[in-house]
Amino acid sequence: MTSAAEGASSTSAALATRGGEVHDRRGSWFPTGAMIATRIMELRKRRGLMAALVVVNIGIPTIFLLIRLIAHAVAPKSYGPAGGYDIFTALVAGVMYVFGFIVAATLGCTAGSVDLTEGMFRHLVITGRSRLALYFARIPAGLAIIVPLVAAGFTIVCAVCVFAAPTKLDYQGVNNIPVGLSLTGFESWAANHPKEVVCGLPYRGPINYPCDINGKGQIRSSGVIVLPPGTTLQRVTPATLKADAVKIAKQDYADYSSYFLTPSTSLMVKSGLWIELEAIVGFIVGLGLASLMGQRTVPVVLMIVLEIVLTPIFSMNVIAHLINVQRGLVGLAMAHLDPGGLPHPFGGGGGGAGVARLVPESTTVTVCVIVAWLVGWTALGAWRMAKRDA
Amino acid sequence: MSVMTLDESSRTNHSDGPWAVETHGLTKRFGDNVAVNDVELLVPRGCAFGYLGPNGAGKTTLIRVLLGLTRADAGTMSLLGYSVPRRRDQALARVGAIVDEPRFHGHLTGRQNLQILAAARERAARERIDASLERVGMAHRANDRVSKYSMGMRQRLGVAACLLGDPQLLILDEPMNGLDPAGMHEMRDMILSLVAEGRTVMLSSHLLDEVERTCDAVAIVDHGKVIRQGPIAELLAGAAMQVEVGCSSPERARSILADTPLGANIDVETSGLSIHLAAGTGRDAIAEINRRLVESGIEVYRLQEIQVSLESWFLEVTSRLGDTA
Repeated sequence: MTSAAEGASSTSAALATRGGEVHDRRGSWFPTGAMIATRIMELRKRRGLMAALVVVNIGIPTIFLLIRLIAHAVAPKSYGPAGGYDIFTALVAGVMYVFGFIVAATLGCTAGSVDLTEGMFRHLVITGRSRLALYFARIPAGLAIIVPLVAAGFTIVCAVCVFAAPTKLDYQGVNNIPVGLSLTGFESWAANHPKEVVCGLPYRGPINYPCDINGKGQIRSSGVIVLPPGTTLQRVTPATLKADAVKIAKQDYADYSSYFLTPSTSLMVKSGLWIELEAIVGFIVGLGLASLMGQRTVPVVLMIVLEIVLTPIFSMNVIAHLINVQRGLVGLAMAHLDPGGLPHPFGGGGGGAGVARLVPESTTVTVCVIVAWLVGWTALGAWRMAKRDA
Repeated sequence: MSVMTLDESSRTNHSDGPWAVETHGLTKRFGDNVAVNDVELLVPRGCAFGYLGPNGAGKTTLIRVLLGLTRADAGTMSLLGYSVPRRRDQALARVGAIVDEPRFHGHLTGRQNLQILAAARERAARERIDASLERVGMAHRANDRVSKYSMGMRQRLGVAACLLGDPQLLILDEPMNGLDPAGMHEMRDMILSLVAEGRTVMLSSHLLDEVERTCDAVAIVDHGKVIRQGPIAELLAGAAMQVEVGCSSPERARSILADTPLGANIDVETSGLSIHLAAGTGRDAIAEINRRLVESGIEVYRLQEIQVSLESWFLEVTSRLGDTA
């Protein structure tokens, strides 16, 4: 320490407001910009946590896409283009949604508990600042970190999926079908390519055309229809063949119409907002839970169990006695909000077909459940922080 | 209790009053354990005030209650004239405190930790970071991570954190903990310099010698209750007096003095006598001892009043409490 005289003079010079009352509304619930900024700094300086956030949100999809880009560049016939609609939907619904929630929850649990576990909470309370303001400062600070991270990872995925998309639609192994045809157009195209359609596209019903049957009675060209050994097929006229092709096209149109070369702008915007909302929910719930429990590890484990165990189970199976509990799950509500073009986040088909398998819930209930989770956990966390012994 | 007054002209504010800390009937229980028991505490402004007590006496709990870190079960209190907890935010705006061992975010530097704390205070606090670090001698390590700090350095950083709010009142819980002798000396100097600036420093400590050298007034707490408080000089003036006498024939001298109405406990030592006089005995008793011995033909070589230390007084009053309990 410096000598008393030195210290006194240097500090006195810096203490311009010495002795006066302080009027800075520190009893207010609202955090100041400086509180939020320093809270961002505190979180950002956690190198291990930040590295994990970057790896999961940006690194995993980027490496996956990079490998596909390289593989396609080296052997384009063996490996398809890196991007495209299918890759986009798989990455967003299968990776970014779930992992984004988990890392956001981890960040929330960290923000909600470290002041306590590292002994800073006491210093902060002694400043006289409202405990609620101390809690609320963590929300914008955490979101200022997690939202841009999720956006960065998502932007990379969007860019690769758009700019490295296939040039032709590969639908059920038939790879020269035009994209975006109307039903009439699709039927017309099928009538002009009857053999590809009949032998290549899936069809539920009898078929008359023998597409290059192998010794076991299987049709080699599509692998879709398996005939029992000894089955005999009649040769058909070109007119019958066309009629069959049109019939198949009509049956497959709903599925075909959900295939695109690239994700649409609308789908990308909706998907981006959807995974951002999921990350926000993960962060807010994690923050509240960790503040309530006063520690980080157990809340993180609970959040992971909620996301990857409980939510899929309770979202996909109707349990009559627990239906209202199931509807109260934020994961189910979030799944109901997923953009129509995406497969269901817990697996089970694409778009509307996947959503149809979820435990049913109205949009109003969905919105109410999400708002209730956000508000409820914030209130619980803030309450505990205000009442806790420091 | 006589009061060391502040420089009123430099410290005029809404909360003028003689006491920096004032509690009445303050009580805090943890189940059946009464950690703070009906405490009546008056800490005068502008002095260094020691809050002394054995382990588990409730020193830290009282500080925690005062700072709003935990709630009181009964009683009233005020800091710098502001009623707490009703006007806690205004009171703590001019209070700096260290409670228990100072801990910080280990992954941040000392300066960054102070930035977090300054952000929770008024805008001017941010401009005091460098001055505070300079004052506690941590400026050269301000950009190192706290995880690399020693206990003593964290203690200094805790004091720097206290200074961010330009406090009128500093409450330091065991501030000498973790400091080497040189660090303790510097801490003592700093506390004295803070008091010289007109601030009030209330500190709890086990190091009675340090407290005696640093503080103007003390309160002794035991089993959660304040049993004595006041300026050290006044408190010690009322303590038992010890006189050492160098003389010929110590045994005979003892029997002569034992017959007097001095009411003294007399121990015979090789070179003379050690006489313990009851509390409140005046210095006339020393002259009386000398007169009696000389009149009896005993040669007196030395007559010395032994200054009662805070430590011996502390042990005396706390053991008295133990006797009556």
